[in-house]
Amino acid sequence: MNRKFVTLLTLVLIGVFVLAACGGDDVQEAAEQVQEAVEQVATQAPDIVAEVEEAATEVAEVMEPTPVPTVEAVEEPELTLTIWADDTRAPLLSQLVEEFGATYGVNLVVEFVDVNNQLPISAPAGEGPDLYVTPHDRAGGFVASGLAAPVELGDKADLFTEVSKNAFTFGGVLYGMPYAIENMALFRNADLVPDAPQTWDELLAAGQALQESGDVTYAFVLEDNGYKLYPLMTSFGGYVFGRSENGDWNPADIGIDSEGMIASGNWIVDNVAAGLLSPSANDADTAQALFVDGETPFLMTGPWAISQFQEAGMNYAISPFPDGGQPFAGVQGFMINPFSENVLLAQAFLTEFIATDEIMTFLQEEGNRASVYLPVVEETDDPDLAALGEAGVEAVVQPAIPEMGAVWGAWNGAVQLVITGGDTPENAYGTAAQQIRDTLAGVRPEITEVNVPGSYQALAGCESDWNPDCQQTEMTEGDDGIWTLSVELPAGDYEGKVALNGSWDFNYGVDGEAGGANYTFTLDADGTVSFAFDPETNLLEITIE
Amino acid sequence: MSAAQPALGGPGRGGGSSTLSRIGARLVILALIDGLALWLITSLLQIDGLVFAAAIALVTLFANVVILRDEGYPLRWMLVGLALMLLFSVYPILYTVSVAGTNYGFGHLLTKDQAITQLENPRRHSYMPEGGASFEWTAFRSESGEFVLWLQQEDGTSFLARPGETLASLGPGEQGIGELDGDGIPVSIEGYERLNRLMVVRYLGEIDKIRFGGEEDAVLIRSLDSATQLAALYQYNPDQDAIINQENGKVYTPTDGFFRSQDGEELAPGFRIGIGFENFRQFFDSPQLRGPLVRIIIWNFAFAFLTVLLTFGLGLAVALLFNDPQLPGRKIIFTLLLVPYTIPSLISIMVWRGLLNPELGIINKSLEALIGWAPPWFTDQWWAKVAILLVNLWLGYPYYMLVCSGALQAIPSDIYGAAEVDGANIWQRFWRITLPLLLIAVGPLLVATFTFNFNNFNVIFLFIRGGPPIAGASTQAGHTDILISYVYNLAFAGGRDFQYGLASAITIVIFIAVAVITLFQFRYTKMWEEAGENV
Repeated sequence: MNRKFVTLLTLVLIGVFVLAACGGDDVQEAAEQVQEAVEQVATQAPDIVAEVEEAATEVAEVMEPTPVPTVEAVEEPELTLTIWADDTRAPLLSQLVEEFGATYGVNLVVEFVDVNNQLPISAPAGEGPDLYVTPHDRAGGFVASGLAAPVELGDKADLFTEVSKNAFTFGGVLYGMPYAIENMALFRNADLVPDAPQTWDELLAAGQALQESGDVTYAFVLEDNGYKLYPLMTSFGGYVFGRSENGDWNPADIGIDSEGMIASGNWIVDNVAAGLLSPSANDADTAQALFVDGETPFLMTGPWAISQFQEAGMNYAISPFPDGGQPFAGVQGFMINPFSENVLLAQAFLTEFIATDEIMTFLQEEGNRASVYLPVVEETDDPDLAALGEAGVEAVVQPAIPEMGAVWGAWNGAVQLVITGGDTPENAYGTAAQQIRDTLAGVRPEITEVNVPGSYQALAGCESDWNPDCQQTEMTEGDDGIWTLSVELPAGDYEGKVALNGSWDFNYGVDGEAGGANYTFTLDADGTVSFAFDPETNLLEITIE
Repeated sequence: MSAAQPALGGPGRGGGSSTLSRIGARLVILALIDGLALWLITSLLQIDGLVFAAAIALVTLFANVVILRDEGYPLRWMLVGLALMLLFSVYPILYTVSVAGTNYGFGHLLTKDQAITQLENPRRHSYMPEGGASFEWTAFRSESGEFVLWLQQEDGTSFLARPGETLASLGPGEQGIGELDGDGIPVSIEGYERLNRLMVVRYLGEIDKIRFGGEEDAVLIRSLDSATQLAALYQYNPDQDAIINQENGKVYTPTDGFFRSQDGEELAPGFRIGIGFENFRQFFDSPQLRGPLVRIIIWNFAFAFLTVLLTFGLGLAVALLFNDPQLPGRKIIFTLLLVPYTIPSLISIMVWRGLLNPELGIINKSLEALIGWAPPWFTDQWWAKVAILLVNLWLGYPYYMLVCSGALQAIPSDIYGAAEVDGANIWQRFWRITLPLLLIAVGPLLVATFTFNFNNFNVIFLFIRGGPPIAGASTQAGHTDILISYVYNLAFAGGRDFQYGLASAITIVIFIAVAVITLFQFRYTKMWEEAGENV
């Protein structure tokens, strides 16, 4: 029985090897070798081509069956750049394939891919594109995850607007080439309202007059998310994140429950009650349909909606938001996959081919998004884009910090509750802000130890500086929940931070920011330094005596 | 060979020649399977798919044993099913488990080696060492494909850079350098052809891989215009297992998936590491669990149970109605009633979303016109739940209509005859005969429907995204959120970008919960036993 089994297995194995030898890997490998040789040679002078063709046939002759595609490959050198883009940009970029191929002899492949979801998985596995198109607010996450290569614009750097370059700059390094910017503006039905309202009250008054004459159903309609309502919120002083002193976003200062935000909520509640605003938290399609159908004279939206208004034959007009309301601005740009084999080529594609008057003009006109390329900006005579640009003068570039990911869901939920009366603005925004703070704080284990690692620790009797688990600098918890520590130090400049439970896993710097910058303190003379840490706010207070 | 024949023939009852041909067929099939597996494994190894390659190897080995050993004969018929189950069901589960034990997610997408490569990349982090300079460059290419660069510093000095050789400050006439043109670039270099801007683009890939300049003065090409002597700021030292800042000597050691310095500074990108049960701890410790989870679970059960009850109830009612052969237009109405089943649920859900829209929907508009009031489907939690159940009823009843009408045919009519003789009325006949006999056939399907709807992400998310939001909840959640949609928000939408590790951990928890519920149902309802007894 056993012997028979072995005989049979041997037979099968022989069969397998015969099969593999005939049509399997060896031939494939040979074909690959030939292909490689041909690729190298294809870029060289024709006399060598003949030589290699010979060599290729030789190789091919040794390995049977003969691989066919060698001759074609010589004529068509395979240099390929792959771009991933979303459903709006992919068709646009596809139109450039021919021109780029003709000029540079490089194949351009444009693929419509869900970049957000696919890139994080594909790129590290070596299956990503050479380039991808993304809004800047996703760029921060890609850069932090190592999915973006720095971009060097060279001479062309001065031809881009500062705002757009800043949007793709992280840690002082430019990681993308911006090409378009988009922001919302106030759209109105010019047949119903000839003049742009200057204040929100004027807007409502105009709407109310139309409502009373029966021309429209609602004076104004609102959508169900924070992005769309942001201009209204900013006119009342609301904000999402504050700024720290150096102008960066400060994720420790969350403005979702700020007074301005709540005031804008109260404005909504009052006017829904007065019947001026639609009591529904509409999705974008519904709001747009109400505007196109003439059920409401105003809509807050962006350039993406223009083509639909044009198709409907609407007489629309674009103006800045009333009361200085600021929309978010989003910048679109190209980024380079650092795992690409062709990083320099990809960069040359951007600086030599895309960053030209011709292509940038094309992208603006066909893409309906305002260019950030100064030579095109100066030439623009498109009235819609000009009006949108005017509305976007004060636009806030949407924060690209990863903390923004924690904001949207909670914020949108609060907006819906406010519009539909599910909760008071104060409670709804308060709850949302708390949800965001909880998410950002991370899931912190119970505090067993609080320490103040820093550059002074060796002087305080620790084995080394910056030790998050040094007994001599452990804080003690008071009855009020505040942790305190006093250390005697000689005069000098010091730095420090708060670390929990003897490790760096949970540490807090300036402004109570998780993983934030070090606190600095200076003793002019020898003295005592007192630290007080509040685990509610994660703030460290340093007093010097 | 002839001695081997009877045993090799296995259970085959045919003559000698047919046995031989059977073995032949077996061998051909096996050779095909092994050939395919071999090809798959080699191509997977080329892209580092080691684990998957091992999985395929195991499955192939199993197939070989089953096909070759006579004892494996009965298993042969299940071979395809088993193999596919292993590859597409067991393997993903194991993969999910392995991901759940890591910090895989945004900020930690790369392997440690990939992270090191990125940190060492001078284009990303660089410093200018002493004596370093920046240049404009022009490339020259020989016929055999070798390159040299002509480098021009801003102050006008120029150098010739050859691969692996120290930069040489040369003028026209030396080493075959021809006359300089107006920009100070040689018109020609002997043996080399000058590349213009258009041509150089083609060769960028090749030039990028060449190291111009010597050890001390290596030149890094940054763009078509500029090249510099910037050096990589960070370098990995394998002995210390640490990244060292070349400019100030700061040491970054790998901790928690980051290279971190002693004073807590982290270098991005981080990398993937195993973190044991940290994801599970995070999930069970999270305020989210203490938040609205109880009410979500209650609604989750209610939703699944009511869906089963309603779809089965309506399906059965319609099937009973159509069981009566006297009904006019039976076939055509029956066919029409099946239509919801033939339309993709995605489209049906969007259509319902439109129909119930409070501003534009035909249902709400009509109701408002007729009675001056329409249910706030999307804003009131109870009406939202009603709407969800209605939509799911619409999607689900045709299935039970089909199943029940088949099962009803299978109930022998003489039982009804006997019952009628015994004086049972129509209700007694339904409750005592039809329903119990029907449940034997349909029971397991009911459990399956329950399990499916317990995790029915589509209808909840597409119709209403879990809304309306719960006011005052400690974490973002909606009144119609079920566990799976809630977890989706938690892991993907509500946090700092994607956290695959955490999401996998939560998925495993849900998997265990659903498995326990399902097992319990099977035990409690004794579906299988009853079905077995009565067949």
